[in-house]
Amino acid sequence: MEYAIQIRGLRKSYGNHPVLKGLDFQVRQGEIFALLGVNGAGKTTALECMEGLRSYDSGEILVNGRVGIQLQSASLPEHIKAIEAVRLFAKWRRVPPGKSRREMPDALGIGEIAQKPYYQLSTGQKRRLHLALALIGDPDILFLDEPAAGLDVEGRAALHQEIRRLQSQGKTILLASHDMAEVESLCSRIAILSDGIIAFTGTPWELKEKVGTHYHITVRTSAGMESFTTDRVEEALPALFARCREKGTVISDLRVDRGSLEEHFLKIAKKEETK
Amino acid sequence: MSAFIYGVFLQWKLDLRSKTLLIACYLVPLSFFAIMGGIFTSVMPESRHTLIQSMTVFGVTMGAFIGLPPSLVEIYGSAVKKVYQANGVPLWLGLALTNLSAFLHLLTMSVLLYLAAPVFFHAALPENPGLFFAGTALFAAVSLGAASVIGMAVKDQAKASMFSILVFLPSIMLSGIMFPAELLPKPFRAAGNLFPAAWGYRLLTARTFRRAELLPLLLIFLFTVLLCAGLLRRLRRR
Repeated sequence: MEYAIQIRGLRKSYGNHPVLKGLDFQVRQGEIFALLGVNGAGKTTALECMEGLRSYDSGEILVNGRVGIQLQSASLPEHIKAIEAVRLFAKWRRVPPGKSRREMPDALGIGEIAQKPYYQLSTGQKRRLHLALALIGDPDILFLDEPAAGLDVEGRAALHQEIRRLQSQGKTILLASHDMAEVESLCSRIAILSDGIIAFTGTPWELKEKVGTHYHITVRTSAGMESFTTDRVEEALPALFARCREKGTVISDLRVDRGSLEEHFLKIAKKEETK
Repeated sequence: MSAFIYGVFLQWKLDLRSKTLLIACYLVPLSFFAIMGGIFTSVMPESRHTLIQSMTVFGVTMGAFIGLPPSLVEIYGSAVKKVYQANGVPLWLGLALTNLSAFLHLLTMSVLLYLAAPVFFHAALPENPGLFFAGTALFAAVSLGAASVIGMAVKDQAKASMFSILVFLPSIMLSGIMFPAELLPKPFRAAGNLFPAAWGYRLLTARTFRRAELLPLLLIFLFTVLLCAGLLRRLRRR
């Protein structure tokens, strides 16, 4: 198995306050990997250590490839045009000038906003521009910190489509997020950061398995609505049907949901914090 | 090198688009010149001999202390700094580009004053134009160095403006451009010597480059360069 990123025993404190207490995890080449955690868990600190933007106390970080970075809180001088930012950063990354002048804005998906100054861009357009800047120089690994923060539904969908397209080109993507729906739809594997350590690493499905296989059942009948939670759906459903038959009620709607990833995530995060 | 030159060119354009620098480097100094030039030369006809020098000191001080810090705060007091770092742009670049661009704007404004003063107010041209512009360049560099310290040390625009005004006002009042510094009480005269404007005015009105004015300006410049280097180091460590 080839790893794009390997983290071993990463520790970081701010003064006397330890934020990362020995992180260990690996990101495989070509996968979309999410680093999850509640606000203040240390996701951004961990990411910035990996990106080389922040020093760390001890541990080892191995990053195998060229890196592109989209920061959580990113900004540019308000009068700079999107195309000028692309050109400036392309020149510093020594991307061939022809590519940065004409082809690059379209290739990076910012053709429409190329001539707009930064202060005139919407939140989604700013995010798009910062992703475009991260893609200059065709990096192998992308670090995306809360990439969908502040985006509307449409912007979010477009971003997710773009992230999938980048993965299909063979790029490895490590994203920090607390948006469970985003993580569930995009990521092949996740790591949950809680109380300074990695409390879980695996697929979203494995996370659900680990925390327990309970189901939410919601049923609407001619007698009203009822909902309950069970671990044994194969027994609960026949019992529900039998009860309805006995009472002579008719089922008009029935939903069976496996606990959401959010619930599982919170369970793990909470468990670690109360330890 | 091409990246650096593009950066200077881009910063020059950004400064032209930014109203703050445009106002501080051109609009206010040239308006002040238009009004004060008329008043000075009417009330004190002999001020024609020092009008270009005094207006240059005012314009450069204003452009440096009021115009530069906001550009630096925009970079170093915000997430722009991190975006630069994340995209492989060295931290010193923002400081170098904003200073170079402001330097060019200040020299342009000085040339405009130099050309306009004799036409509108019959001001006397400096005896040695080469020396005058060399002195102006040195004074602008020193003023920008001092202004850079404010822009790098302060994180928000409101505080930066406050500190800039705190330096700008005594610089102008105590420099000798409004009234002879010799008329000031001793402590005020001594306080004036802490600011580049007082030495700059003496340098621009002198007939030659003298050690007495050059040395203090160079010392202030060295001190501000060291302070900026220290502030950059602190930012890098964060």
